[in-house]
Amino acid sequence: MMLRASVTAIALFSVVLGLAAAGEARTVITGTVKSKAGQPLPGLALLEKGEIHNNVWDRGALVDANGRFTIELAEGGQYGLHVYSSGYIYSPQAVRVETGKTLEVTVTLVPEPTRANDPVITRAGFFPWEERRAKVTFVKLEVSDPNDDLGPQVLAFNAATGRVYAMDPPRKVLHLKANFPQGVYQLGIDSSQAPIKPRDWYFVVADHQCNTTDILSFPHEPRPPRVIR
Amino acid sequence: MRAALLLAALGLPALALAGSPDLVEEGERWWTVSADPANPVACATCHFDPAATRGWAASFPKWKPLPPPHARVMTLFQANAEAVARHYRLRDPRRVAAAITAYLAAHGVGVPLSPGISAGQPVFPERLRALVTSVKRGRSLFARRCDACHRAGEAARALAAYPRVTDGRVESLEEFLERHRGEESLAWDSQVTADLIAYLTEESR
Repeated sequence: MMLRASVTAIALFSVVLGLAAAGEARTVITGTVKSKAGQPLPGLALLEKGEIHNNVWDRGALVDANGRFTIELAEGGQYGLHVYSSGYIYSPQAVRVETGKTLEVTVTLVPEPTRANDPVITRAGFFPWEERRAKVTFVKLEVSDPNDDLGPQVLAFNAATGRVYAMDPPRKVLHLKANFPQGVYQLGIDSSQAPIKPRDWYFVVADHQCNTTDILSFPHEPRPPRVIR
Repeated sequence: MRAALLLAALGLPALALAGSPDLVEEGERWWTVSADPANPVACATCHFDPAATRGWAASFPKWKPLPPPHARVMTLFQANAEAVARHYRLRDPRRVAAAITAYLAAHGVGVPLSPGISAGQPVFPERLRALVTSVKRGRSLFARRCDACHRAGEAARALAAYPRVTDGRVESLEEFLERHRGEESLAWDSQVTADLIAYLTEESR
């Protein structure tokens, strides 16, 4: 009788331990970004939640100097992984991550053969705005595109929170495959709890032909893009 | 005999093969060199690994995740046409798309058909469900539009003959279906055409 009770107790304890371990298992996308020559590339890895190109942006991460990134997710499922590095054409890739597991990917980027067709970020700024009880900071980005075929990827990434945002276009766009307008894009961020730290913010823009700007980081002073040989 | 009659009715020589060598060669050129002189980014700029693209032709028709609301099941020719219209800025992308379709089909010769599934890529259940629905719509369309004259299994065998070159003119299956007799016109780049080809592809397996 005693033995049976002990076995039951041990079995129950094991189940509880197992459930706890399962509960702790992280859901992660991690990977390496490199050039065709195998050189590690720094940049940004940004995720859409659900089907790729749905413009529902979720989490992201900085890609370090060794070309490594890790994004922890709240849940598994389908995501659109977009990887950017200055001077390179961005890479989109649909991925599927199992809850509680780690997906490892390798991303190879190719350089922009010319920068003449790339969108350009001409200005970025942060503008606090108070209205009665709410406190909002508007993040603004001025974008131009020589081909006039901007897509919805006018993106802001907050490295402190890991959040990715598609910025609002200057005027309404009928659908995501339409050409988005050039001009000032903006994003309203709730800064009632804490002020925005510009140092945390990164910006990148891609057009419908995948032409991609350099990543704009603090102090957000655009520089002429260069062709990587 | 019946098959030969059917192929003749479809306007095909009985031993027609998809993509003449010239068309395949032309497709390889368009694959590697942009048609837009102002923008040198070609298909092969990003899709540079031949091993990665070998299974592409076999994976169509499939769900193409274009930005909503344009995401849908597409044929390889339709997907190529969308891509070259966008990247090469071609007003009429059909000739280039047909040539690239022939090139990718030749590149993937021997790869078993796997509509909706690309070798080495994850499988997305929602995309497969969309393809199943497309096949069902195609079956219904075939019964309504084609069944009086053609048997599905025989029509399915004609898939491999496209794109073809006739009298120096390149024609995709989608364009052929557009001008083929019928009560309703099937636009070459439409969902219904993709549905019909998705059904015939399923029949050909």
